[in-house]
Amino acid sequence: MSSVLDYFHTDWEAMTATDWVGTILTVVIFLLMVGLYVHVLRPKNRERYESKKYIPVDDEQVNSGEKNGG
Amino acid sequence: MDATAEQKYDYGVVRWFTVMAAVYLMVGALVGVYIASELAWPFLNFDLEYISFGRLRPLHTNAVIFAYGGCALMATAFYSVQRTCATRLWSNKLAWFTFWGWNLIIVSAVISYPLGLTQGKEYAELEWPIDIAIAVVWLSYMFNFIMTLANRKTSHIYVSNWFFLGMMVMITYLHVVNSLAVPVGMFKSYSIFSGVQDAMIQWWWGHNAVGFYLTAGFLGIMYYFVPKQANRPVYSYRLSVIHFWALMFGYVWLGAHHLQYTALPDWTGSLGAAVSLAMIIPSWGGAVNGMMTLSGAWDKLRTDYVLRFLIMSLAFYAMSTFEGPVMSIKTVNALSHYTDWTVGHVHSGALGWVAMVGIGAIYHLVTKVFHVQLWSAKLVNAHFWTATIGTVVYIVAMWVSGIMQGLMWRAYDEYGTLAYTFAESVEAMHPYYAMRAVGGAIFLLGAVLMVFNILMTVAKASADGSVQAARTAPATA
Repeated sequence: MSSVLDYFHTDWEAMTATDWVGTILTVVIFLLMVGLYVHVLRPKNRERYESKKYIPVDDEQVNSGEKNGG
Repeated sequence: MDATAEQKYDYGVVRWFTVMAAVYLMVGALVGVYIASELAWPFLNFDLEYISFGRLRPLHTNAVIFAYGGCALMATAFYSVQRTCATRLWSNKLAWFTFWGWNLIIVSAVISYPLGLTQGKEYAELEWPIDIAIAVVWLSYMFNFIMTLANRKTSHIYVSNWFFLGMMVMITYLHVVNSLAVPVGMFKSYSIFSGVQDAMIQWWWGHNAVGFYLTAGFLGIMYYFVPKQANRPVYSYRLSVIHFWALMFGYVWLGAHHLQYTALPDWTGSLGAAVSLAMIIPSWGGAVNGMMTLSGAWDKLRTDYVLRFLIMSLAFYAMSTFEGPVMSIKTVNALSHYTDWTVGHVHSGALGWVAMVGIGAIYHLVTKVFHVQLWSAKLVNAHFWTATIGTVVYIVAMWVSGIMQGLMWRAYDEYGTLAYTFAESVEAMHPYYAMRAVGGAIFLLGAVLMVFNILMTVAKASADGSVQAARTAPATA
């Protein structure tokens, strides 16, 4: 067995309930994050997100009631 | 003068937090310069335990992190959440409770540290009654912020508020867990953790105080104040969303990289280092996002001294978020750990990133909430150069000193005997400790200029009656 495989060897029998909860939560959150990246970077969602970047610049108008910052 | 904003929002508490942030930066830097001088010229201890390095060092770190950083975060969060949500604070009274509570905690630190009352946990030295007070006041800050978001008149929650909220949630969690202790007296307690678990919890807190308090919170400042000062929208909103989630996901893993080559399991340090390296991507993405906000308008840096602070802070942010992951790699860590290189790294982030982005926001805020121009733009420029030069002198001194320390400690002769005694390595550090004190003093000079400039600006606003005029003027755009 190579040293790399040794390094990643896992004794699955020794996993405690805490280990499993932590592992599953981490993998789920990681997958959700990857999903979020795909969603945010999809070209069709570009305008939806980029339109929000004007909020701080336009907050003078928000204050005067000329425009809803959202 | 923005009478509409003055009448629509709660600016009073923002004004006080802003001024106090500037004052605390000066005080924190002053204590820092003094203890740096003690290391270079130990007679400055004067054989008084109250002003010894061990007692003043936590006073310095707490003053700059929690007094300056806390007031800067509270001023900017309370200001920008109102502006971006087009609504006033949920409770002005609760905001004032936060202000007085936070300042009382700072006073308690100023008293208790010189007296030697400490839990001995880095960046969390305050004893248990004050830890409880911190939790209460911090929750008042977070609750008011969340309720203001809930009352917003806009449909979208701007990204700066996400960063502020992420910081608030995580710091609550980190502070409570790290501070769990068994009291054995009014001013003495022992951590409920022991041994290697205590070390792991300590650095889980310690690195995330950097990651969430000094990074996420101050990125909240960056995402509002850079576009505002530049009068241009942030370069990419999508990049800011990715920056936020990657930061929230990644930072909590990093603490173990502070404990390489210790009793902690080897894999935890490797994991900490691997995620640290991965964090270069979102950190640099955020830094580039902030700097590219000026794309096509770089000429603003010639005339806008406040903007210089904000953009320079991003350059330091990029630099220190590259240096940190490199230092977390075991091979590099074998040289850098326990040396002054770490101190230099911390200060490239603290002086270059945290202080400068906060200073830029403070200058911006002063003009907005006092409804006057700054008393002297030239002093802002002088402050910019003293802050930048002071920071660079400090970092360079610690780089040279730290690498030299590491090399001297590991050098050995052909018989396998250490080539230098520890005392010899301390002696070799002296010129760099003196240089560090000088760098800190240059930075302190800038902080004094800022406080003077701000106080003169407030005096001008008072003499002109600009705040009162904004309160009573007809509210128009």
